[in-house]
Amino acid sequence: MDEKGAFLAPIRKALGYPQEEVRTAGECRRLFDCGDEGDIVDRIKYRTHVEKQSLLKRMTENAAPLNLGVHPASSLAAAADLISDIVRAASPEFSDTRQIIQHDVDDIASLQLWKKFAGKAVTVHTTYQADMAVREKAIASYVGITAPRWAIADSATIVEITGAGRPRSTSLLPSVHIALLRIEHLLAELGEVYALLRRTPPQESFLFISGPSKTADIEAHMVHGAHGPREMHLVVIDERMTADTSYQGSGLFPAE
Amino acid sequence: MHTKVTLFVQCLVDSIYPRVGEAMVEVLRRLKVPLEYPADQTCCGQPAFNAGYTREARAAARRFVRIFESAEAIVCPSGSCVQMVRHHYPELFVDESIDYRMRVKAVGNRCYEFSEYLTEVLGVVNIGASFPAKVTYHDSCHLLRGLGIGEQPRKLLRHVEGLQLVEMDDSDVCCGFGGTFSVNYPEISTAMVDAKIDNIVATGADYVTGCDVSCLMNIEGRLSRRNLGVKVIHIAEILASRGGHEDE
Amino acid sequence: MKMSEAEKIAYRRDARRGIDDECLQGGLQRIQNHFGKGAMRYWGEMADDGLRDRVKHSRMETLENLDVVLAMLADNIEEAGGHVYYARTAEDATDYCRRVAKKNEVSSVIKGKSMISAEIGLDAALEAEGIAVTETDLGEFVIQLAEDKPSHIIAPCIHLDRQRIGRLFQEKLDIPYSDEPPVLTQAARRALRKIMLEADMGITGCNFAVAETGKISLVSNEGNIRMSTTMPRIHLALMGIERTAATMSDHQGMLQLLTRGATLQKLSTYVSFVGGPRRPGDPDGPEEFHLVMIDNGRSRILADQEFREVLACIRCGACLNICPVYGKIGGHAYNSPYPGPIGAVVSPLLFGINRYADLCKGESLCGACLDVCPVKIDLPRLLLALRRKLAYGDPAWQTRKHKRTEAMVFRLWRALIASGPLYRLALRCAGILQKPFISETGMIKKMAGPASAWTRDRDLPPLASEPFSGRWKKKYRQAAAKGPSEVDNG
Repeated sequence: MDEKGAFLAPIRKALGYPQEEVRTAGECRRLFDCGDEGDIVDRIKYRTHVEKQSLLKRMTENAAPLNLGVHPASSLAAAADLISDIVRAASPEFSDTRQIIQHDVDDIASLQLWKKFAGKAVTVHTTYQADMAVREKAIASYVGITAPRWAIADSATIVEITGAGRPRSTSLLPSVHIALLRIEHLLAELGEVYALLRRTPPQESFLFISGPSKTADIEAHMVHGAHGPREMHLVVIDERMTADTSYQGSGLFPAE
Repeated sequence: MHTKVTLFVQCLVDSIYPRVGEAMVEVLRRLKVPLEYPADQTCCGQPAFNAGYTREARAAARRFVRIFESAEAIVCPSGSCVQMVRHHYPELFVDESIDYRMRVKAVGNRCYEFSEYLTEVLGVVNIGASFPAKVTYHDSCHLLRGLGIGEQPRKLLRHVEGLQLVEMDDSDVCCGFGGTFSVNYPEISTAMVDAKIDNIVATGADYVTGCDVSCLMNIEGRLSRRNLGVKVIHIAEILASRGGHEDE
Repeated sequence: MKMSEAEKIAYRRDARRGIDDECLQGGLQRIQNHFGKGAMRYWGEMADDGLRDRVKHSRMETLENLDVVLAMLADNIEEAGGHVYYARTAEDATDYCRRVAKKNEVSSVIKGKSMISAEIGLDAALEAEGIAVTETDLGEFVIQLAEDKPSHIIAPCIHLDRQRIGRLFQEKLDIPYSDEPPVLTQAARRALRKIMLEADMGITGCNFAVAETGKISLVSNEGNIRMSTTMPRIHLALMGIERTAATMSDHQGMLQLLTRGATLQKLSTYVSFVGGPRRPGDPDGPEEFHLVMIDNGRSRILADQEFREVLACIRCGACLNICPVYGKIGGHAYNSPYPGPIGAVVSPLLFGINRYADLCKGESLCGACLDVCPVKIDLPRLLLALRRKLAYGDPAWQTRKHKRTEAMVFRLWRALIASGPLYRLALRCAGILQKPFISETGMIKKMAGPASAWTRDRDLPPLASEPFSGRWKKKYRQAAAKGPSEVDNG
C-alpha cells in the first residue's frame, strides 16, 4: 500500500468500511451534488442595469463600516481622474520614491495613468508577464491597482482571480489598494460568486477582499493597516450613470 | 375538574427547602388542582448523571419511572430535574426495548416544570398573589436552554400584585452551581456566582427569584457569606404569597 | 507544546491564576460582551435561519465520507503540482516540515496563526534545526515576543493589555513607549514586513480545504496569511483531516458561519484560495506547495460515533466567547492549543482523557456553548460522555477510572435513593449530625470533609427540621386528594 493508502485505511475503518477497498466519489454522489444552481446564474444574467445601480448603492453602504471607499465613475476618463486624486493624496510608507503598480489588464491600461503623472515624479509600473522584477516593483510601490473579476454588494467584497499579468502581491504589498470594476460585474451576494466559481472553476488562485487589512488584537481596538494595505478604494465604472442615478459615493478619503 | 397532579418534589426541596414544596401545594390547591405525592420518591438521578455515573443514574431513573408511571401529570418545582426526566432519561435507555423506551418517553412528556404547568397547561398567569417588593429573576440554565422556559415565569411574576420585576444584566448566564462542579472546582464556581451576585445587587432588588432551588441555594450561600442583604426566594413562594395576610 | 507525556494538567491552579489576573479579566469581559453576545444576537436575527442546520448536516456527511473527500483533495492538489504528505502522528508531521525546510536550505520561516502547529509542537522542532520562526499574526507575534502562550483561538493575546504590550514592544522592538493600539500595530507592521519579505518558507494552517477544487482556503483580517502564502519560496500548509469541505457550496456555508461566529463579520477581510505552486506565467506565489494532512488521533475520534460530532467544529471560537467558565479562568488553564468548551472536549480526546480529566469535569454544563455554536455541536453531551469514560474507565480509550472515592460515593448514593425509608433515615441522621455546624445566622459556615469545598466561599442552608415528605403527611395528604380546598376563599 502506498502512503496515501496507508493513511486512508484507518479512516475507512473508522467509518465502518473495509480498510483495503478504496471507495470512489461515485459511491457518495449525493455529497458532491450541489444542484445546478442554474437559477442563480440566470438571476445574474438577467439582472437589469437599474438593478445593478441599486446594488452599487448597497455596496457603498456596506463598504463604509469596513473603511472601503466606493467611488462611481461615468467613464474610464473619470475613473482615471479619481484614481490619480487618490494616488496624489497618499504618501509612500515604506520608501522615499513615488511608485505605483498596476495589473496588466485592458481597462487599467486604458486609464493611461502615466499621462496623469507625467513630470510629477510618480513612476507607474505594469505587471507584464515577461517582467522578472515584478516582485521588487510591488515591494517598492505605495499604490497597487487591480481589476477584480467581480464584486459582491452584500458584503462589500471584491473577488480577484490572480495569475499571469495579475499578481497576488499587487493587492497586498502597497499601502493603498485601488480596485477598478465595471458595474456589469457587480453581484448581489456571496452565493452568486460561488455559483459562478463552480461553473468555471479557476485553476488559478483566487481571493476575496473586503476592505483594507485590519486587526483588533490589542484590546479589541480596531486598527486599519495590519500587514496588507491600510487604505482601499473601489472605483466602479457605470457608463450609463446619469444625474438621476444620484450615487452617494464614499468621500474620497474615509476617516481612519 | 383539573387533571390530578402528581408532585415531584426535588430532593433539595424535600430536604432543605420544604417551604418551596409547600408553596407549590398552596398555589395548586388555590387553583383547585387535585394533588398526590408519592411518598416513596427520592432523587431523579441528575447528580449522578451529570458526574458521568450513568449506571447509578439509570437505577434512579428506573425507580422514578416505576413510581411516576401512573401519573397523569407530574409537576416539579425545579427545571433541571424536569430536563433530566424529559430529555436525559430517554438517552439512558437507548439499549432497552422499544416498549420500555416508549414508557420512559411518555413519563417525560407528562413531566412539567411548575411555572410551565401553570401557564401552559392550566393557562393561568394571575394566581391572585400579592408580593410588594422589588424582585429580579435568574434564568436557570437547564430551565432556559434545556426546556425553553424564560418568558413563563416572568409572565407569572408580572401578574403578582405589588411586585416590581427588575431585570438584571446577564440573567441567563450560569450562576456557577453545576452540581458536583461547585464542590470540585470551588474557585471557578465562586468567581461565577460573584459575577451573578454583582448583577443582582446592581438592580437594587430586595429579592432574587428563580425556578430552581439548586441555583438559588448557590446564590443564597454566597450572598450570605458576603453579608449582602438581598433575599432569595423560589417563585412558588412568591406565587403563594398574599402580601402581609397569608392563609395560615 | 507536545502532548505525549502523561502528566495531569494543573487546571485548578491555572484557573485560580486566571481568576486573579485583572488584566485577563478585562480582556475576557471585553471579548465576551462584544463577540459572545453579538453572535447570539446574530443567530437570532439571521435571515437564513436554516443555514446552521444545513452546514451541520453537510459537515457530518463530509465526515462520514472523509476517505473519499481526502483522496479527492490529495489528487487535485497533486495534479496542480503540489505535494501532499500524510502524517499519522505529530512526529510524522514535524519531521516532514523539518525535511522540507532542510532540503530547501530554509533559514527563516514565517507563520500564519495555526493551532495545529502548536498541537504538533512545530516551532520547537524547527528552532532545534536553527531555523528562525516568526509568528506574523499580530496577537501571535505579541505572544512570541512575550514568550507566552495564546489564550484564545481567535484573539491570542486578550490576556495582555495595551500597557503590557507597549512595554514589550519598547523593549523588544526598540521603539519609544506607547500604549496606543494604532502606534503599536504600526510598529509590528514595520518590524514584520521586512521579515515576511525575506522569509524562505511560509507555514500556515488551513481553515477549510475544498476537495472538488483542490484548494485550501485561509481566512484572515490582517493580511499576514496572504504574506505567508505569497512571498516565500515555499508554502507549507498544515491541515487536520477534518478541516475539509467536499464542494465549494459546502465551503460557502462554512465560511459564512466561521466569520460570523468568530468576529460577527459577513466576511473576513481576506479569504484566499490556494492549492499549488505558481503556474507557468504566474508572477508570484510559492515555487513549492506542500499540504500536510494530519491525523494525530482524529481517526480514533471519527471511529467513535459518540464523539464524531466534535470533528464538525469550524474553529470559530464562539464557544469561548460565551462560556462562563472560560470567561472567568481564561485560556491558559486549559493547557492546550484548544481552550474553552471546544478544547474541553477535543483536548482529552486528542491528548488523553485522564490527563485532561479536569477539562471534562470542570464545566457547569450550562449549555451556552451549544446555543452559540454555529454548527450546533452538543458540547454538553460530549462532556457528559467524557465524564462517563472517567467514571467507569474505558480500555478502548485507554482511560482509567478517575476517582475511586467518587465512584464509591455514587455507589452509596445509589443504595440510599433506591429505598424511600433508607433515604429518609439518612436524611434524619444528617439532620442530627449537622447541628454543631449551624451558626447563629441559621446557615452552615463550615463543613467537614469533601463538603468543606462548598463552605470555602459559601454558606450552606441546613437541612430542614422536617422534610417536605413529613409535612405532606401531616398537613396535606388528607385534603389534597379530594381536590378543591377549603383555603381558597380569598
